[in-house]
Amino acid sequence: MYKEKSEETVDKFSIVGKDVIRQDGFAKVTGQAKFADDYRFHGMLHGVMVRVPVAHAKINSIDYSGLLNDPSVTTICDTEDIPGAKKVGLIKQDQPVFAFDKIVTPGDAVAMLVGKDEKKLRKLTSKIKVDYEKLDVLSDPLKALDKNAPVIHPDSGSNLIIHYPLRKGDIEKGFSESDFILEEKYSTLHVEHAYLEPECVTALPLEGNSGIKIIGSIQNLYTTRKIVASVLNLPLANVIVIQAELGGSFGGKDDIMNILSSRAAVAALKTGRPVKIKYTREESVLESHKRHPYVMHYKIGCKLDGKINAMKVDIVADGGAYASMSPFVTWRSVVQATGPYEIPNVQTDVKAVYTNNPYTGAMRGFGSPQIIFAQESLMDDLAIKLGITPAEVRRINGYKNNSITASGQKLVDHDVNLLKVLDRAITKSGFTNKWGNNKSLNEDKNSITIVNERTKTDNNLLITDKEFIEPENLIRKGIGLALSFRGCSLGAEGIDTTAAYISLQRDGKAYLLCGLAENGQGLRTTYLIVASEVLGISVEDIIYMEQNTSLIPDSGPTVASRATLMGGGAVKSAAEQVRSRLEEVLKEEWDLPKGSKFVFNNNRIHIKNIPEKVIDFCDLVSLAYMKGINLAALGWYQGPHVDWDEETGQGPAYFTYVYGCQVAEVSVNMGTGEVYVDEVYAVHDPGRVINKLGAEGQVYGGVTQGAGYGLFEEINVQDGFIKELNYDQYLIPTSMDIGNINIEFIEGEETYGPWGAKSLGEPTLELTAAAISNAVRNATGVRLFNLPLNLEEVLLKRKLHPDDLKRGSA
Amino acid sequence: MKSNISFTLNSKKVTIICNQETRLIDLLRDELELTGTKEGCSIGECGACTVIFNGKAVNSCLILAGQINNSEIITVEGLAENGELSKLQKMFLKKGAVQCGFCTPGALISAYALLLENENPTEEEIKIALSGNLCRCTGYKQMIDAVKSSASL
Amino acid sequence: MIPDLEILSPCSVKEVVELLSKNNPDTKVIAGGTDIIPGFLIDSNRFRDINCLIDLAAVDEMKGISESDDEVTIGAACTFTEISRNKIIKGNLPLLSEAANVIGNPQIRNRATIAGNFINNAPCADSVPPLLVYDALLEISSGEATRRTSLEETLLNPYQTFVLPNEIVTKIIIPKKRKNYYGTFYKLGRRRGVAISRITLALLLLIEDNKIKDMKIASGAVTPIGMRLHELEESCIGKSLGKELFKGVSKNLGRKILDVTGLRWSSHYKVSVVQQMIYQLLEKLYKEFKEAELEK
Repeated sequence: MYKEKSEETVDKFSIVGKDVIRQDGFAKVTGQAKFADDYRFHGMLHGVMVRVPVAHAKINSIDYSGLLNDPSVTTICDTEDIPGAKKVGLIKQDQPVFAFDKIVTPGDAVAMLVGKDEKKLRKLTSKIKVDYEKLDVLSDPLKALDKNAPVIHPDSGSNLIIHYPLRKGDIEKGFSESDFILEEKYSTLHVEHAYLEPECVTALPLEGNSGIKIIGSIQNLYTTRKIVASVLNLPLANVIVIQAELGGSFGGKDDIMNILSSRAAVAALKTGRPVKIKYTREESVLESHKRHPYVMHYKIGCKLDGKINAMKVDIVADGGAYASMSPFVTWRSVVQATGPYEIPNVQTDVKAVYTNNPYTGAMRGFGSPQIIFAQESLMDDLAIKLGITPAEVRRINGYKNNSITASGQKLVDHDVNLLKVLDRAITKSGFTNKWGNNKSLNEDKNSITIVNERTKTDNNLLITDKEFIEPENLIRKGIGLALSFRGCSLGAEGIDTTAAYISLQRDGKAYLLCGLAENGQGLRTTYLIVASEVLGISVEDIIYMEQNTSLIPDSGPTVASRATLMGGGAVKSAAEQVRSRLEEVLKEEWDLPKGSKFVFNNNRIHIKNIPEKVIDFCDLVSLAYMKGINLAALGWYQGPHVDWDEETGQGPAYFTYVYGCQVAEVSVNMGTGEVYVDEVYAVHDPGRVINKLGAEGQVYGGVTQGAGYGLFEEINVQDGFIKELNYDQYLIPTSMDIGNINIEFIEGEETYGPWGAKSLGEPTLELTAAAISNAVRNATGVRLFNLPLNLEEVLLKRKLHPDDLKRGSA
Repeated sequence: MKSNISFTLNSKKVTIICNQETRLIDLLRDELELTGTKEGCSIGECGACTVIFNGKAVNSCLILAGQINNSEIITVEGLAENGELSKLQKMFLKKGAVQCGFCTPGALISAYALLLENENPTEEEIKIALSGNLCRCTGYKQMIDAVKSSASL
Repeated sequence: MIPDLEILSPCSVKEVVELLSKNNPDTKVIAGGTDIIPGFLIDSNRFRDINCLIDLAAVDEMKGISESDDEVTIGAACTFTEISRNKIIKGNLPLLSEAANVIGNPQIRNRATIAGNFINNAPCADSVPPLLVYDALLEISSGEATRRTSLEETLLNPYQTFVLPNEIVTKIIIPKKRKNYYGTFYKLGRRRGVAISRITLALLLLIEDNKIKDMKIASGAVTPIGMRLHELEESCIGKSLGKELFKGVSKNLGRKILDVTGLRWSSHYKVSVVQQMIYQLLEKLYKEFKEAELEK
């Protein structure tokens, strides 16, 4: 780790920032970890969905007569079986548990067959006849607000899900006072989370059908509880949600799990038996939400000295069939759309719209990878236009301490390490020389432009003599960087509180639980480290409890890279409460002078500078227990005040921010358009690193996901339908698709979080595609505007689709 | 069609009556309750269901019970001996190769199969051996390191 | 969904053929299962209504790789792992070895067999272009009768081969007459690990006096089935090596592919790339030739 601080500060910790083997590791490497589908229950039934292959239709009736008296079918559930809310959603209640009036996207399920034999049920789904009338399909988000566009949800009046304006300064004046203007359009496609574990959940009726217990692959347990309770019309306390080991989520096992849990719960209460729903990969991709495709229009006005004087951003996000998290995802976009740059005049408008496409919602990054791709592409082009380096243009405009953001927030209470991460990444990667050399080598010879021009103007597919590339010129090298700031935790999205519970046992061991959930990122290990640091005991002395909504207060969702910051804060608070009670016991026992300093370390407590005062942790706990001291505590962590003005887009959006810079080095095959990422330098300021192995894991994994996003992950939605339903079509990076990743953490002074620890998970992903795109620009001299930079995009500067010829656009 | 299937599973003889078209993964998970082997795609693309079949890493979603008579099969449950983790498993933990853990059993098996044939693989050979095991969490780096360290022990 | 099945495990080709002729269209041979089982899951019409599978795992006659003075014989049920590592193949048929090494992923290569790769005649069967340039022959058995035919003639149309329902391919035989040929195999996918081929090419070149004495070229994925490009080969015989020839060959290949496929949605990309890459391959082989000449 790069040591910015003195050795003393770094070494003040006994376990924070060190390599610690993850808490669930043993279970996971031996195959004992129980994921949702590994649970079996006596008398368990299975639920299998019935769908109609149509993107937009009015449902007239559903005919079940083909299945009457079929012994394989215990029951069939549809909207009629729902005692409470028939439509749900965390923000807008627009998503039916079972589609009843309309089908608005091909993933919609109209009914669920329930029975003992899942395989038999799957064969029977075609026996249900749905009578429906097809409606016009809206697939292009840019047409969603046209007067004649079909309205997806008539209750909402229009297809507008949300519109966020942001106004700072005077945009027109800003442009008119600029020396020159740059203006570009960018786009991104639907992306799938592609967690390795497909969705699975089991609902078990509680005694006398008084409530329901849900065990599943669920990311946000309290959200699921709230939705299921509303569907069943039950009090929150009568719905218990337990998390099975979660096989990856990345924001994905969110809405879909609320819906599946609701369906399983309805069926379980109807039959009085446990009901499991387990999706195939194809069903998972078909029905679950995706990352938003964005169409982004950026315009900047700039002074000759490199200062950006005005920025205007217009974004349309394809929300798909349901609102889901669109209002929150696009809100993060509006806050961060202008990047980490101080600009006096800003006008941003972000809209999310309904279409008949798969719905879009939370995915790691949450509205930032798209805008960073656009804004960082434009920053590089600005540097080239000004004849300066990418680092220089960012140094001129980048946030420093006390800078004012686009929403008018003054950056205080923490070290604004933006330029520090930039400089470290530049130095570490040898950026400046490499960038300059590649640029001078690659600017002139532009074979990609030739291919593009030839194939675009007519159907002349025969290569021209000047297009042939000599073998030594086939592979070109490029280097590119991207820089970001990111608001930590939920921001003005909602209530930001988290609870943690610790309970010391009389033998000195402990139970620990936080209300945020383990999604694979390793937060249980992080929390053990925090508690262990405070109490001076080993992580092995602490048992992490089952993640169960009935055991710990609602701590909000495990999202927004908030787990270390918010959950870590709550765990620290809980551990400190019991520690201070233990200190009180010792003060009394040892009759210590005022101001004595306790050291909890190595399962022992001693007093600084009084060597003879030592007690084993377990003996102290036992002593406290005998004295009747409360050895359990509930920690509570509340984020400071944040605020947002919906009309002007002004306010302190997040209470603190993190900063990151990534540099990508690529090899581009000029004959095929293949891009390989040779090296990534990822320099992040997460405030403080608590769980070192976990933190590095976030970077390696995030960068790899980001590279997939940049290069080949794409879902081509055609009239609402997805073709890439499994891993043979939807390509994520394999072990052979990513080069070296070099990590460096920069720590800074921070008011919030445990010892200043903030966020890391999402920043690691959001930068990579933008850095790769800038590297491809450096290698080829060609700017690409549309993610992913797949083979066709790099070679032809456009995407090709199977129905291009049908549409006559060839 | 039901039939009698006999094979060796994690060094123990097993005989079971089951439908011949039962996939090996279902046989392991549902009939034999070895749920360490995971299903991620059902078409041989993700590798979460990887087991060792007669010494080779294979996808257990693409093998039917009627094809496994007299074979030798090793699953993730067979890697540790008497509760003691193998060095490969230990290295997966030490290097941070595990995150959500869903791909871990399959990746461990692929790595184990590689080391059975090649005691000292190069980084490229390790990458190839793991290329049929998709992982969405780790970025593979720590897995590759774990296999390398395990080989050099 | 996998249908209810009876799985038979014969031990000899004779038994396999008997079972095939006794049974009916509902019976299909299975070896690695890497095509059939996903096919069941997506309800592919190629595998509909099957109720019996004949597993080739115990048919030793269909395994193993051997060589004589003039041929290499590959059992039809050899897996790609076996083929990619086999010394006979590496020494005599390096392009096949290379192709075998990049088919699917390791788990697939451990199961998938060579005959299974071409028997369905899918356009993206990676082993086909190398087999075609090596003039592979098939031994096909129907019980009493055994016939030998070329792979090229057997590959009729996409997903259609000339192998009768009661027949089975038992061996692939490759004549060893490729001494002094320079050769290369090329595959393009959307990522480096495990990807369906966008383009495959296999190229063999015999050079004498800086002229092309013989050339064999076959394509896959970019044509509707894997195919040899005979006209193109013939047009090159006797020509002097050099950029002019290579550029000409590239354009002719582009023309030929357009003739065969017509204009497709992917043509703008694929046809551009196939021309560029055949040029690269020719340059590469020429360079190898020149380096070898220098060493002499």
